[in-house]
Amino acid sequence: MPLDLTLQILTSGLLLGGLYALLAVGLTLIFGVLRVVNFAHAEFMMLGMFGAYWLWALWGIDPYLSIFIVVPGVFLLGVLTDRLVIQRSIGAPEVTVVFATLGVSIFLQNAALTAWSADIRSVTTPYGSAVVELGSVRISVPMLVSFVVALAFATGLWLFLNRTMFGKAIQAVAQNRDAAALMGIDVGRVYLVTYSVAVAAAGAMGVLIAPLFSVYPRVGLSYIVTVFVIVVLGGLGSVVGAVIAALLVGVIESVVGFLLGTAWAELAYFLVFLAVLVVRPQGLLGRRGAEVYQ
Amino acid sequence: MSGATPSTARRAVRAVGLVLLLALLLAVPALLDSAYWLDLAVMVLVWAALASAWNISAGYAGGLSLGHAAFFGVGAYTAVLLFNELGVSPWLGMLVGAVLAGLLGALLGVITFRLKGPFFVLATLAFGFVVHILAVNWRGLTRGAAGLTLPFDGGPQNMLFADLSTYWYVGLGLVALVLGVSLWIERSRLGYYLVALREDEDAARSLGVRVVGCKVIAAAISAALTAVAGTFYATFIQYIDPASTTQFELSVQIALVAIVGGMGTALGPLLGAVIVIPLGEVLRASLGGGPALAVYGLLLVVIVLTAPNGLIAGLRRVGRRVGVATGVVR
Repeated sequence: MPLDLTLQILTSGLLLGGLYALLAVGLTLIFGVLRVVNFAHAEFMMLGMFGAYWLWALWGIDPYLSIFIVVPGVFLLGVLTDRLVIQRSIGAPEVTVVFATLGVSIFLQNAALTAWSADIRSVTTPYGSAVVELGSVRISVPMLVSFVVALAFATGLWLFLNRTMFGKAIQAVAQNRDAAALMGIDVGRVYLVTYSVAVAAAGAMGVLIAPLFSVYPRVGLSYIVTVFVIVVLGGLGSVVGAVIAALLVGVIESVVGFLLGTAWAELAYFLVFLAVLVVRPQGLLGRRGAEVYQ
Repeated sequence: MSGATPSTARRAVRAVGLVLLLALLLAVPALLDSAYWLDLAVMVLVWAALASAWNISAGYAGGLSLGHAAFFGVGAYTAVLLFNELGVSPWLGMLVGAVLAGLLGALLGVITFRLKGPFFVLATLAFGFVVHILAVNWRGLTRGAAGLTLPFDGGPQNMLFADLSTYWYVGLGLVALVLGVSLWIERSRLGYYLVALREDEDAARSLGVRVVGCKVIAAAISAALTAVAGTFYATFIQYIDPASTTQFELSVQIALVAIVGGMGTALGPLLGAVIVIPLGEVLRASLGGGPALAVYGLLLVVIVLTAPNGLIAGLRRVGRRVGVATGVVR
């Protein structure tokens, strides 16, 4: 393969990985803190995409502006979901923990289908297909923007978790819910903030990719499974692991997709995923014992 | 249904109820004279069998699978391919599919037995996707998204019947098979082992339960029965494609039916099918597919949050109250 092409494929893969990272970081945080696998995660991304689409279609608001309207909206929806569903499932039997968020996912997907039909819609912006050239490598401008935002978010989240009192409270809850509660930490509030911030990040990703990809009610399904692969690879609960695994999967998808076609790329990472689960369930970077589910 | 010794009156009520239920089931084709409703009734049987089969590994052994569509697809594709390519009767193909799915289920059991909670769920989900991707992309074998059809004039020796009522009776046989296996497991040593390891794996192991072996056997039985339902579905609809046999949504719905009805019991999944499938069809017919599935999602959330033991638990409470009120139960 010529060098130019190789660089191009690697760059595309990294940018794609950046997109995945924005979803993966939230999903892994929710798991680490609440011990809940949020099957509804990509549905909040879908709602972010629809939010961007409708604000653009009805009032001509550019996604890069409407992000300041849509993300708070998705955040509030996260608060609502947390209060109505997630908090009620904490400590409940395993079947409740797994299937409550799956139910939310089915509901949101089909509520969107009912409200907006299965039509495939897209936002057209002047910069949607803009490209910067770096040597021989062409980089899509909206991809680059979302990549930068994703890394900024992950960095900000890492700083927040490690440099603020509330961040440390979140980590304390992740380590031991009961001990944290005994230390005077408001566990319910930690759950609420964690869940809402994480799904708001998914909503932000939705807005950012609106100029790039079409939106339809089931769009989340194609992302959520990839993101599951990523968070398990990175070690469920590990923010840094999620970012690295997201970039890795983006590159793998891009390379294998180019060589063998997208279907086989998908097959490849499912098999890798199964292998990792079997051999090293704590993930490539996860702390040992993180897979022990309480 | 509690540990109390059944009184003679209670036993008599049960026997009469059972006979009436059986008579009612056999009379269904005569009672439902529209093809639309009988068709729906046969689908209720398919889902009852699927949810029951899922319940064997999920309800008894505690492995919440989101990949059972894979086994359904194996059962459907094996029988159809054997018939179309080699002229093997689907009755035989059904057995081949069941063995194949049983082996796959055992393999999945072997590689996932250590995984708990969400890790097990995600592994089964990934497995389901692997099979789905193969069904869509291995076009030389499955013809991909175009799907496969069965000839209409196959005859009963090929599990292809001229009238719907025969499908109803064969479907009843299928449900009876799965229910029989469930009841047998429930009352057998294996069943007690499974429940023990579901409740506390370490304690069960320390008492000498072969945890891995039990889990693998449950997974294999569950997978094989799911494949049998897949073959029956294929001969009933006479057309299969990845969207209707291996898709993720199918795995979710199998679990949903069992959970709504009540997992971990033999009758719960059957009750789930009787309630969920007609409800979905009525909603689809009156409101459309989107609202119908939105209600499914809502139903799932409400059930797991308020009644994780399913509707059967509530029904039992009501039945007990009625029994006490009428003096049948003390």
